This record gives sequence, C-alpha cells and structure tokens, in this order.
Amino acid sequence: MARKSNPYSVIGRRQPKLDAPLKATGRSVFSDDVYLPGMLHGKILRSTIPRGKILNIDTSQAMRLPGVKAVITHKDSGGIMAGPDQQVLCDDQVCYVGDEVAAVAAIDEDTAIEAAELIKVEYEPMQAVLTIEEAVAKGAPVLHQYFEDNYADEKDLKFGDTEKTFDESDHIRTDEFTINPTHNCFAELHLALVDYSMPDKLTIWTPNQTAILIQQSMATSLGISQSKVRVCSLNTGGAFSGRGTVRPHHLIAALLSRKAARPVKIMADADEEFIICRSGGRDKIVLKTGVKNDGTLKVIEADFMHDCGAYVETQFIIMTIVSANLQMLFKLEAMRYRGRLVYTNNAPCFFHHGGGIVPAQFALGQHLHCVAHDLGIDPVDFYLHNAVGKGHTTLSKTYYASCGLKECIQKTAKKSGWKKKYGKLQPYRGIGIGCGVMSSGGKGMFQHDTSAAFLKIDEDGRLSLFTGLPDMGQGSHTTMAMIAAETLGISAEDITVVSGDTDIAPFDVGAFSQRGTFTTGNAVRAACRDAKKQLEKTASQKLDVKPSLLVFKDNKVYPRGFPEKAISFEDIVFDTLHSQEGRYVMGRGFYNSPTQKPALAYSFGAQIAEVEVDPETGIVRLLRMTVAHDVGRAINPLAVEGQMDGQVFSGMGQTLFEERLVENGQVLNPSMAGYKNPRPFEVPEIEHIIVETIDPYGPYGAKEVGEGPIACVPHAVANAVSSAVGYCFRELPLTPERVLEAIRKKNRQQ
Amino acid sequence: MKRMITLQVNGDTCEVAVEPWHTLLDVLRDQLRLTGTKKSCGIGTCGVCTVIMDGLAILSCLKLAIESQGHDITTIEGLGSADELDPVQQSFIEHGAIQCGFCTPGVIMSARALLDKNPQPSDEDVREALSGTFCRCTGHIKTIEAVKHAAEKQAGAGGTSDGQ
Repeated sequence: MARKSNPYSVIGRRQPKLDAPLKATGRSVFSDDVYLPGMLHGKILRSTIPRGKILNIDTSQAMRLPGVKAVITHKDSGGIMAGPDQQVLCDDQVCYVGDEVAAVAAIDEDTAIEAAELIKVEYEPMQAVLTIEEAVAKGAPVLHQYFEDNYADEKDLKFGDTEKTFDESDHIRTDEFTINPTHNCFAELHLALVDYSMPDKLTIWTPNQTAILIQQSMATSLGISQSKVRVCSLNTGGAFSGRGTVRPHHLIAALLSRKAARPVKIMADADEEFIICRSGGRDKIVLKTGVKNDGTLKVIEADFMHDCGAYVETQFIIMTIVSANLQMLFKLEAMRYRGRLVYTNNAPCFFHHGGGIVPAQFALGQHLHCVAHDLGIDPVDFYLHNAVGKGHTTLSKTYYASCGLKECIQKTAKKSGWKKKYGKLQPYRGIGIGCGVMSSGGKGMFQHDTSAAFLKIDEDGRLSLFTGLPDMGQGSHTTMAMIAAETLGISAEDITVVSGDTDIAPFDVGAFSQRGTFTTGNAVRAACRDAKKQLEKTASQKLDVKPSLLVFKDNKVYPRGFPEKAISFEDIVFDTLHSQEGRYVMGRGFYNSPTQKPALAYSFGAQIAEVEVDPETGIVRLLRMTVAHDVGRAINPLAVEGQMDGQVFSGMGQTLFEERLVENGQVLNPSMAGYKNPRPFEVPEIEHIIVETIDPYGPYGAKEVGEGPIACVPHAVANAVSSAVGYCFRELPLTPERVLEAIRKKNRQQ
Repeated sequence: MKRMITLQVNGDTCEVAVEPWHTLLDVLRDQLRLTGTKKSCGIGTCGVCTVIMDGLAILSCLKLAIESQGHDITTIEGLGSADELDPVQQSFIEHGAIQCGFCTPGVIMSARALLDKNPQPSDEDVREALSGTFCRCTGHIKTIEAVKHAAEKQAGAGGTSDGQ
C-alpha cells in the first residue's frame, strides 16, 4: 500500500487500540457485567397479535408470585411516550407482534419470566396492515390517530428541470427494486440497567452510540431535568447506526426501578432481540435515469418507500440518505426525488448498518450497471466519466473541498486487473464495481453539531482526555488519543481517555453520521492547542525563544532547528505548576462545523468485487474485494483497514445472505442460526487501498471511514453477480434461491 | 431445588449452589463473577460464550452447570499470566483483530483450543475453528490473520505444553 510521505510522529502510525489489552483479557466492562446491590431482573410482556384492542389486563396472579417486586401496565406509565407516536406501555391498542403491554421486576430472571407469563391479557384482534402495498391502498385502515393516512413522513426534492433533461436524453431506463427486511446482529443484545431507586437521580447503563441523546430523551419522556439522568456508556458491543435512541425497554426499566425502589436490569432474549433491534425495513425503490449516448448522465428520478413498521423514530434521515446517495456521487443536471415512510403493523424498523445506504446503493448499482450495459460502455469508464471531483458543487449545493473518487476508481481498477477481467472471465465468474460517498458530520439532529473536549495534564506529563464520544469498537478513543498526542508532541500511550459517563464527560452529539474523527477530533485538537498555549509560556521563558518558534515533538520541547536544546515535556508541565503562578494545565475546546449543510467534508470510495456463482445451487462465493477509500488522512491505518473489513463483511452479508423473514407480523427466523450471515469460510480476500486527499477542514486532513466503505459493497457485489449470470437483480438479498431463479430465467430467454 | 456442585475453573476449585437448569455460563457470570465470558444469544448460535473444557472449545450457554462437574474449565481470565499475555491475546491486540470486543473472549478461546490441538493449522483449519463464532465488527478478516500469526509465533517459541 503506497502512502504519501508522513510529516507526523503519531498520526499515520499503525496503532493497536489502547483498550485492546483489556478486551483481549476479558477485563473490559460491558453493561451486562454491572451487578448492583439489590438489583432486580425485569421482563416485558409483549403483544402476541399484530393489531388489536386490549380489553383487559389481569396482573393479580403475577403480583402474588413470591419474589415479584413490581408489576407495571399503562396505568403506571400513562402519558409517558417512548417516541413521537408510541406510548411506553400500550393502553387500549397494540400495533405489532412484540408491542410492550406490561412488565415485571423480580428477584431473579426465572421469577420474572414466570411472573410475566402469569399476566393475562384479553385482546380483540383488528385487521392488520402488513405490507407497504396494503398500507397505501385506498380504504386501508389508518393505523395512527395522529394521521389521516399511513404515510408517517415524506420528502420531496426537485433540482433542475427534470422534464427538459429527460427530453434531451438519448436513452431513458426505469427499474423497480425491492429490499427485504434485515437485522443488525449486535453481539451485545439490547439491555438496560437502571437505578432510579431514589427520585432525585436516575442512572442508566446501556450500550449506545450517543449518551447525550439517551440522556435527553430519558429526561424528556420522564419529565425530569436532564442533569438528573446519568448515562453510563461503558463499552458497547456493536452499534452499526442502531443504538442512538431511547426505546421502551429503557423507560420500562426506569419505571420498574422507581416503583420497586431498587435497580432493575432488562436484557433481551434471542427472540426479543429481533423485535427490539429495529433494523432495516422493507424498501421499494423506482429509479429512472436519462443519459446521453456517450455515457453522460443527465437526470435521475427516484421514488422511495420504506416500511417503518408500527412506530417511527428518526427515519426521516433514511429518506435524506437515499436522496443523497443518488445525487452526490455523479454529476447530474437534474434530479427529482420522492421519499415516503409507511406505517404498517410490522415490528418497528430503524437503521441497519448504513441505514438507507445499502438499499439505495444496491438499487443504484444494478440500475447504472444496466444503463452502462444498454449503452455498451465499460462500467469503470462510465463511472470515471461521470464522477464528481474536488471543487464540484452538487445539485443540493454541497461543495467538495476534497474528493478522491476518481483516484479510488482508477486505483481499484488497476489493482484488481479490471481491464483484463471485465467481460473476459469464464462463465459464472463475474467482476463488478461500486462507488460511494459519505458525509463527515451530522447537522440536522440539532441546529449545531457540537463536540466538546477537555483535558488535564498531571505533573508526570501524562494527560487525561475527557470526551463524550463513545467508542463502540471503531477505535475512536485511540484516534482521539493520537490526535491529542500529535498536537502536544507526546505519545498516545501517555493519554488516558475518560468517557462513558454524562456526569463527567463534556457534551458530544455522539458517534453517528461519521462525525467522530472529524468533529470530536477537531474539538480535541482545539483543547490541546489551548493547553499547549499554557505550556508555551513556560517553555518560551526557559528557552528564551518566541512561542511561535517552539517545537513539541517526541515528548520534548525545543526551539525550531535546535533539538539539542530540548527540555522534556514532563519538565515543562512540572515547571508550569511549580512556578509563582502555580498554573495547573487544563485545556478545553469545542467544534461545530461552520456550515449550514449536514457536513463540511465528504469521503468517497470505490470497490471491485469478484465472484463465482455455482449454477447448480445459486450459491455465490465472494472471492476478492479491492477496497479504496478516500479518508482525507488515515490517522490510524490499522483502524482504517479494520473499518473497511467490517463494512465489507456487513455489506456482503446484506447483499448475499441476510433476510429477516416476516409473516403475519411474526419474525420466522429470530436467531443467528435461521438468519443467515457470512462466517469465516465466506469472507473474501481483501485488498486495502487508502487514498489520502488531506481535507482542509478535517483534523490533520482526516475525514470519515466509519460508514463510507459500506456504500460501495452492495453496489459492487451485486454488479459482480449480475456480470456472472447476465441478469439484472431487482430484489435483495441475492440468496441462492433468487440467483438460481435468475439463472433459469436467463437460460429460458436464450 | 438447588444443589451444591464443585467446579474446576482456571485452576481454582469453586463450590456453588445451582438449580438443575442453570447453565455453566450462568454460574461463571452470575456466581463466580467471571464476566469475561459474555452472554449473547443464549441458544448456541453466536459463539460469544465459548470456554475451553478438557481441551475442547464448548458453548457454555448450552452446558448445564451440573454436568460441568469434574471437568477442567478454562475461561478468558485463565489465559496468560500476570506478566505475559497468551500469544493469541497478544496477536489479536497487535493485528487489530479486536473492535467492540464483545465477541473477542469467545473467538480467542476458540483459537486457543485450536492451537492446543493443532499448533500449525492451515488457513482452512483456522476458518473452521472460528466458524462457530460470530464477529460483526472485524468480519473475521483480521482475526484469521491474528490466529495464524499466533501459531507462527508459538511455533517459534517452541510450541505449547499441550501441543501434539
């Protein structure tokens, strides 16, 4: 892997994660590892029907069971909302199989399960709406009283004159796609441990990717002030876009704890996990594209519908992500987009890894693959011809200050040997390319997108860095330590990152929208510069040189050009404290990207997949992935590769294997045995290509790599399968059944 | 009705009172507070709770506590020493094979059991040994690399005492 020369001491090193020794030895603490004195176990009783009236709830037997300490129904939670359209516990109606109806807390899990089974609920079933088509049909039952129809939200966008550009196009193509529901497969199942024994403070331990949003939502729902809620994040066993909101189980644990005046832990079992998780819902996407004969893209029109299930959260973001994927990657003259979220009586959906990205990129990839095929143009040439570049402004007025898309396409094509392989492989072998774009930052949740950081430096020169950014495994705390170390000229191992407790850590919107490295990284850099100024005062006096001429490097401080005059960093810190001023060095900083757009920086990627299809079984084997990503600058190349690997894995899973089968609102395969995932034999060889475009706004030029690579995977893998069997796929995932059906259809056509 | 049983865990003899339906995983975590072994699916599909029993990698969520008596059990806390990590642990750290870390103890125990039986595994042997575990973050790419590297390093250091 070729890298440009690196002017830094810490940035750019292959740094093992600082917390890896704890994780390798089983010492890392996760929420389920917390056992509190007097802790009870909670269990939720869930609806067994997809839609119906609750006629009666009888809790008398459950309350009499020895060991039961609290039983709650809507009578205890009346008025408390778990979301914009959802009560914590249903009052008179249930909306999906799994809806929360009642809950118990008992001295152990066995007693809690037994008590929950003793609660008798009488239902009057109502006609359920289980598909997008049924929900939008004329005369369909309206599922929520707040709306006149079953559209939970919609988004209409129009850029340029689409009618005129379609008229000017030489070729127009329309395709319709279906993407089936998925499941996030967190290693750590959903869990909430809440101590609300005393009314003046609520403490919650729960895996999450944004402590601040959990804190704010808990406080708002329960009608208490924000500082009364303390969120302890500890470690999080996978987040993948799905751990950003408060769910009923968080609030139910709180209500049980308050009622019993003891801490309560609720952990999902394997079946429940597929309900609580709220992963990807079914999507329908229609794409229509106008293009010139020379391959110049002119216009895209898209209609997107998403089955969000019984309740909504912040899925308006999915609609935004889908539209962004369609118009931010290639130069277009016009675009029209209509996105709609549709209520049904299925389990509520939210984000699977790359929420909205995988559906949009599968559809866009297959569609453009067919457009290129119609025109007889090599897909790599087609993408290079239309790719955006540095200085480009998109139809939505987003400006790219750095862009390595063309470099990614060229490098993957070269490394994979594309020209020698495309169209020239043996039967049932295929090669396909995919491209992606991703923002680094997430304005839109609030007016701001702020991260704050502070730090203290002790007499031995060691630094404690306080951040509200969670580390769910992506290695963000190591990245923050590296940015701090580089800025102060010390080593990453000299830094302790303190996080995971809202009583201690400063404000941070959280680890989503790929804002960690870019936004919190900039905040950490600002805090370090603040501390550095304080140290420069001491160093400049001792070395008799202007502060601007000081160099902080390798745990030393010296005048530029005179390393032999160096004083150790530790001595400068010591002398700053042991001076007449007696200054204890503390730095503080915050960052909010100065833009009205969702983000200031955008990363780009290209990937090439090579597959082999078994024509007898339809099984696809992903042989090789060549993965290029424009990360701005790789702070930690080892972690960048890890992010690429994980996203190839998740993206190939969603493209080839993963499907949450739902019938009459019931999940039919709620286990890792029934819900197919790739395992070690399925993972391909991966070639990593890190492209560095040094973004002017990123900390040390860095952008994101936390979700960008997954955008390319379904695009590339599906295109490779298409090439192998000569068929355009219109339904995801490409299971053996669907691939076999495609081969048979293709053979019948010949 | 609870009954007293004796378990041999990481070289220690532990007496615990268990219900007949309690699993080894329940006892390790809830009674012995060996929380390095994680609980996830609880039905034997994810491999997160893998421990080593008499040299074999087993799923502790599918093993009843009462049938674990008289067997030699090693958990993640039993690997390495106070001064030195197990080569598998060290290799996982160096190769970036750990991300969220929740599945890591199970994956490391599966790898350790493999190398104890087969100190020089092929690529296929490694993939097979890790097939019972699920790792969403790393996609198993760097875990496979780390196990192979640990085997090489261990062979260089003269192998293990348990090796064939």
